[in-house]
Amino acid sequence: MRGQSGAFSPVRLGIYGFLLISAAFFLLPLYVMVVTSLKSMPEIREGNLLALPGAPSAAAWIKAWSTACTGLTCNGIQVGFWNSVTILVPSVAVSISVGAVTGYALSLWRPRGAALLFGILMSVAFVPYQVFLFPLVRMFSYVGLNSTLLGIIVIHTIFGLPTMTLIFRNYFASVPIELFKAARVDGAGFWRIFGSIMLPMAVPIIVVAMILQTTGIWNDFIFGLVFAGRENFPMTVQLNNIVNSTQGEREYNVDMAATMLTALVPLAVYFISGRWFVRGIAAGAVKG
Amino acid sequence: MAGVRVSALSKSYGALSVLRDIDLEVAEGEFTVLLGPSGCGKSTLLNAIAGLDDINDGTIMIGGEDVTAREPSKRGIAMVFQSYALYPTMTVRGNLSFGLKVKGRPRAEIEKRVAWAAELLQITPQLDRKPGQMSGGQRQRVAIGRALVQDARLFLFDEPLSNLDAKLRTEMRVEIKKLHKELGLTIVYVTHDQIEAMTLATRIAVMQGGRIEQYAAPDELYERPETLFVAGFVGAPAMNFLPGIWRAGAVEVDGIRIPAGALDLRAPVADGTSVVLGVRPEHIGLAEDGAPGEAIATTMQFMEPMGADTLGWFAMGGHRLSVRLAPQRARAVAGATTLALDLRLASLFDATTERRL
Ligand SMILES: Nc1ncnc2c1ncn2[C@@H]1O[C@H](COP(=O)(O)OP(=O)(O)OP(=O)(O)O)[C@@H](O)[C@H]1O
Ligand SMILES: [Mg+2]
Repeated sequence: MRGQSGAFSPVRLGIYGFLLISAAFFLLPLYVMVVTSLKSMPEIREGNLLALPGAPSAAAWIKAWSTACTGLTCNGIQVGFWNSVTILVPSVAVSISVGAVTGYALSLWRPRGAALLFGILMSVAFVPYQVFLFPLVRMFSYVGLNSTLLGIIVIHTIFGLPTMTLIFRNYFASVPIELFKAARVDGAGFWRIFGSIMLPMAVPIIVVAMILQTTGIWNDFIFGLVFAGRENFPMTVQLNNIVNSTQGEREYNVDMAATMLTALVPLAVYFISGRWFVRGIAAGAVKG
Repeated sequence: MAGVRVSALSKSYGALSVLRDIDLEVAEGEFTVLLGPSGCGKSTLLNAIAGLDDINDGTIMIGGEDVTAREPSKRGIAMVFQSYALYPTMTVRGNLSFGLKVKGRPRAEIEKRVAWAAELLQITPQLDRKPGQMSGGQRQRVAIGRALVQDARLFLFDEPLSNLDAKLRTEMRVEIKKLHKELGLTIVYVTHDQIEAMTLATRIAVMQGGRIEQYAAPDELYERPETLFVAGFVGAPAMNFLPGIWRAGAVEVDGIRIPAGALDLRAPVADGTSVVLGVRPEHIGLAEDGAPGEAIATTMQFMEPMGADTLGWFAMGGHRLSVRLAPQRARAVAGATTLALDLRLASLFDATTERRL
């Protein structure tokens, strides 16, 4: 890079300016949340939204985590956190395991017009799931799964399956068919080929699937509200209860802290696995 | 080791018939090459023998047993694929031992066999590497090694060398030939490279459009091609074809009479039959140098130097003849030239049935 496109050419300055403004645009709300959560209520009442806290304190965070009231009980958002973890771990594990197997099975089935068929399947995966809510509630109460931990796990697995299946199918379909033939000549059957050859090759796509499912399930609100039951409300539902059920003065600092605590898991997932995510997507793309 | 007998095998994809009524016999210890242009069904036939593709009709026997309905792993075969098909997440050792592990062989035996195959193919130093870290030639050795460790009765190769560069291909060709000899393997080998076929095979099956056109030893195939297709497909530079009419013991090509008394014919040919005379470039010489055969007048067009020889192109009527010449001699040839066609080794085909006469 030299001459016109040097470090401080007008074009460059324009680009940097644009990037800075965009960054500020997205960072500003976060900044406000962080400073507000570190302020005391009297300081917040002064109304200087952008001012730095005079005496930063973690009190609001501690309150949000352990003593904030969600309706009648006052055990903080930690209850929701652990509920979310209890829902998340089995849901992610089951939906990915089942999706990997069904995706593998479908990848071996190559009918004519496969692209069209799977395109339609994929579009079905995007049907807004609100339309399923009422029938599902009726079905679940009929079999006694409504408002249970198992119920919400089953729901997340069912709704995760189409996407998981298609992700894995597309990945496995890009594996050369000769590899499969070689394994058959070697005497390996359906499960052996899956376990010893396909699954080890699928590590990048498993990471992608974990990221998608973890953020999706953690951010879910409506399924948790409808199917989990009061005992198992996930963190998002608890957060809503904290923010909306305050009596008397609204504690902005506690609300901000609780919100950030809730967002922490998906944020951490993206920061830690961003590199893997890109790699997994790229691996799928290159092979296809 | 065991022989193969394929009888009346047919296979189609929907309405598309890919193999038609194939009969093929491979004796124990034989090296059979399936040779043919792209899309003629070579891979399909090999996959059928392996049991990887279902067939519509016919039977497949290996070692005297009918294996038509058996799983690939129960047929006693080993296979080497064009794309190598190595398991990418396993080391070379893992690749070699996978089949034996699946079959539940004892650990000591697996180790011994893997060590033996690795030594034989000179890949011992790479045993703990992954396929992704190896060159094409090394991967090909691993793929062959993976086939060798199985104590298979029959080895199937599907264009194993087509992804290698020319030099490596020649080297690996020699090694495969050596393995066949030293280990006494029975091999069915697919290729569309006729040099590979000629050098490796004990017998070559030339295929076209889902049929076997001729199944014979390389010399036989080269010297006495059964059909026009085989004659044109086998041999580089290709055979010269002169279409004409058979009249009183001679072939008339564009009004030029070529007396054909020297031809080795199976049965007398009726006068007026449309025929094609096939002469290889090395069976044509310069009359002035005393080359044997029927003299015909031609005009030199151009020369193609190929290293060891030069291919000379000569016009004869509306046809063009290629002649294999010594390079030094070729440089002195120009203009009107009398060529001598040695018909003792030429072939004559019926122009309508395209079969040898
Ligand atoms: N799964 C399939 N569905 C439909 N047609 C197929 C299928 N597989 C192969 N064919 C057709 O069968 C014919 C023979 O294919 P095959 O792979 O045996 O050819 P080949 O002789 O091995 O060619 P190449 O030298 O290119 O490998 C081809 O015309 C091909 O289009
Ligand atoms: Mg092929």
